[in-house]
Amino acid sequence: MDIKQYISSGIIETYVMGLCTAAEEKELEQLRSQYPELGKAIVAYEQEMEQNMLQQITLPPAATDKRILDALTTMKKPATVIQMPLTKRNWLKKIAVAASLLLLISAGLNYYLYRQTKKSGIAGNNTSLPLSNYKVLLNPSITPVAMYGVGTHAICRCTMFWDKKTGKMYIMIHHLPKSSAAKDYQLWAMVDGKSINVGIVKDEIRGQFIEMDNVPSGATAFSVTLEQAGGNSIPTIEETYLKGAI
Amino acid sequence: MPELKTYTEPELIRGLKQHDNVAFEYLYMNYRGSLYNIILQLILNKEIASDVLQEVFVTVWQQIDKYDENKGRLFTWLVRLTRNMAINKLRSKVYKSESKNESLDNYVFAIENNNPDTENINRIGLRKQVHQLKEEYKNVIELSFYNGFTQDEIANSLNIPLGTVKTRLRNALIELRKQFV
Repeated sequence: MDIKQYISSGIIETYVMGLCTAAEEKELEQLRSQYPELGKAIVAYEQEMEQNMLQQITLPPAATDKRILDALTTMKKPATVIQMPLTKRNWLKKIAVAASLLLLISAGLNYYLYRQTKKSGIAGNNTSLPLSNYKVLLNPSITPVAMYGVGTHAICRCTMFWDKKTGKMYIMIHHLPKSSAAKDYQLWAMVDGKSINVGIVKDEIRGQFIEMDNVPSGATAFSVTLEQAGGNSIPTIEETYLKGAI
Repeated sequence: MPELKTYTEPELIRGLKQHDNVAFEYLYMNYRGSLYNIILQLILNKEIASDVLQEVFVTVWQQIDKYDENKGRLFTWLVRLTRNMAINKLRSKVYKSESKNESLDNYVFAIENNNPDTENINRIGLRKQVHQLKEEYKNVIELSFYNGFTQDEIANSLNIPLGTVKTRLRNALIELRKQFV
């Protein structure tokens, strides 16, 4: 290998700009570990390109600066994957992880299908859906809670995303019969075996996250019941539509 | 705004990998201008360009662990990420539906009609330098860097051997390097 000739062939420029084929990239990375001068030549080109590009600037509008800096300061550290010790209950955790993933995929798919339907013009009178609505899913501190239909309401489904840090719950209704004017759906959190009222779920909002505040941090399970309009102080167990545990 | 701390590149990378907010603010303040410039070379609509800029920095936050210092400088990684995200946006259905007047057909039409907006795309940053190269060099960089086609795809679409594409692209980039300031 004539390394000098290789260095001046233009392969470095192609590699740094990200335009190599996979084979070229593999070869270059392999040669880089053998020939220190190749590594130096790569860094030299990177620095030249950087200097060139750093002199060609267009500043974004101040509003964009503010929006992005705000977004960055509120971003949470991505969750690191912790290897669970092998215990008898490990399978349960695996199922839980798999279920969470399925839930996320399902929510993503729902969103995708929703956009597709919306675009094809058969969505009816759904309100437009801001993309920012889905940013909640990117938040790593979020816990997905799958809610399943109970008894005769087995077909009912909704997906909830719980931000334990802010106490907010984001709810996406998939299947739930529309409540009548005299009735409201109410969300309950189970804390130490007791049902705590979280609030009314405005089920007329479909295809969009319903945001609810003040979810108690110690909740281990949730349920949604159908109550008189305005809600009740205790849940009507016979009217439980959805249930889900953490 | 309080004065920003200055970082050396290794310090900055360490701060970013620890998801330190001050390091991210520094990264944004220092690189936003050149990355936004790159996006504007691909996307005419300034609002969409701003969205892409945000997506880039959010992605940096989420994927900084994947950045490998031994493979390249931080800025090189940022440029690749930015270019990929801008090309993905160009190819997305959302973009195509939101910017009906800026589809490729209209893009060509606008060039022919000397639309000042479309001309801007070729008049800034690196793309301006690319447009100073001779035609065959300009075209191969346009197709690969700005349109995201692989060398194979270019060979097929121009009906020339892959080896020719390779040589032409390499020579084009060597010529482009001579334009660097």
